[in-house]
Amino acid sequence: MARDLEALQKLLWRLVTAPGGVAEGLADEPELAAGGLGAIITGDERMDPAARVGVYAEAYFYRLLEVLKEDFPATLAVAGADQFHNLVTGYLIDYPPTEPSIFYAGQHFPPYLRTHPIADRVPFIGDLAGLERVVLESFHAADAPALDGAAMRAIAPEAWPAFAMRTHPATRIVACAWRVDEVLRAIEEERAWRAPARTAATIVVWRCAARVYYRAAAPAESAALALADVDSGTNFGAICTAIAERAPAHDDVPGLIQRLLTRWLADGVLSGGNLTDGKIADAAR
Amino acid sequence: MKRSDFPALGFGVGLRRPHYAEILESRPPIDWFEIISENFMGAGGRPLEVIDGMRAHYPIVMHGVSLSIGSTDPLNRTYLKDLGALARRLEPAWISDHLCWTGVGGRNLHDLLPLPYTEETVMHVARRVREVQELLGRRILIENVSSYLTYADSTLSEWEFVAAVATEADCAILLDINNIHVNAFNHRFDARRYIDAMPPERVVQFHLAGHSDHGAYLLDTHDHPVCEAVWRLYEYAVRRLGAVAALIEWDDHIPAFGELEAAAAEARHRSWRALARRAGALAARSIEPLAPRESKD
Repeated sequence: MARDLEALQKLLWRLVTAPGGVAEGLADEPELAAGGLGAIITGDERMDPAARVGVYAEAYFYRLLEVLKEDFPATLAVAGADQFHNLVTGYLIDYPPTEPSIFYAGQHFPPYLRTHPIADRVPFIGDLAGLERVVLESFHAADAPALDGAAMRAIAPEAWPAFAMRTHPATRIVACAWRVDEVLRAIEEERAWRAPARTAATIVVWRCAARVYYRAAAPAESAALALADVDSGTNFGAICTAIAERAPAHDDVPGLIQRLLTRWLADGVLSGGNLTDGKIADAAR
Repeated sequence: MKRSDFPALGFGVGLRRPHYAEILESRPPIDWFEIISENFMGAGGRPLEVIDGMRAHYPIVMHGVSLSIGSTDPLNRTYLKDLGALARRLEPAWISDHLCWTGVGGRNLHDLLPLPYTEETVMHVARRVREVQELLGRRILIENVSSYLTYADSTLSEWEFVAAVATEADCAILLDINNIHVNAFNHRFDARRYIDAMPPERVVQFHLAGHSDHGAYLLDTHDHPVCEAVWRLYEYAVRRLGAVAALIEWDDHIPAFGELEAAAAEARHRSWRALARRAGALAARSIEPLAPRESKD
């Protein structure tokens, strides 16, 4: 029985997900020729078997289309509704959902767009979708106590260089070839957007009080935050060195470090702890 | 099992995102809330913050959509581990999911597809339900799904199938009254016959929702108010099955929370009315022998 049920479920999966619809899907099922779909699915004068399977086929596509529209509103705005519809059609053929949670349905959409012919006409679309996906991931990322000013003030000044830091689990550092943060912000604020400049940029995405924010970061900041990766972490001394090495020549390095640290602490970009044997061990893990 | 193995929750509403802030701020007088489990199985952030805030003030029930209990794929252990972790965090009154399959071959359709109603499928599903119950350490509820197709190989009616799975798996039933109404139209059967066949002691929860009329079929869209025919079927179910926790579901074109509150109040009112009729009928039956016989003259 299990094999029969498995064969039945796999047949229905193929028909429901057939890109050209159930009728086209049936044409690719020559073994059904003898009894047709009617030997498997019961129909009546109101709806034949294919129409009944078609209810599920339509629901499958439109449910996922709606989810992807919600997850990638800026990509939708840039592509336009018709083109977005076609992109999703192709995407679902290449990347049918595999996870129980529909949250993951769009996880491959940014890399899909980067290699799709649309990238020839809208070269920033993959970066834009990538930023939208990261914003969504940040929203659902793990909780952890954020490092704040009070925690830092409690540390003796001589202990600051060895104080361990890492980015908060909801913080993400996104490398982009285009300033897609400007496009995303314009669309979120319902302003007219224009094609962004092709400028390598690092976007910091973080969550504060359950809301997700993003902004472009200068090389010194992005290098420091990359060093403080959530999994490995680093210490404050190494962060200062990274900032100093990439700070603009004219900048006041101590002042820059102070400005960045103040901002990170206010935004909740970091979590902290103690370094033990080169690894962070604290309550935030 | 007995229905009293589960708490008597009363009349609840499905928790949906547009209402989070209002519920947390005003704490409306709703008996309980049902969540879609998968919406709160992320690692952290706003959803878990919301549900922790809700849990402090209301009983919560976890209702899943991705268990895929009827699939021929192995049970997804990662999913079940995450489900168990959420249950430990929320301590829900119960956990439910659907009597259906949602994917196969490692692919997910994100839809609730019906199963062939056969003895073999009963055994297949019941074995998996028992496994899930063992893993979660508690009895679960399985829900009858709306459907748009039936299989030529089915040898049981849908109601025989639902009852048989629940009995064989020793699990409880979440009876969706709207789904019975939708299926009765789509597959031409008597909805009351379905309810008559339910084992009363296993029915722990009702779902009430709206649907869309597509002419040739009814679609379970959860985007309309509960229609009068479904309300009447609900009253019939209460008369047959007794006082059962009921929940209003609304998933699309979600109205202001007040409308859901009103629907939950309507469910309470209709339940009381049906229970009064049931009590009256039982009383009438008990005094029947004492009633004077009519003269045949």
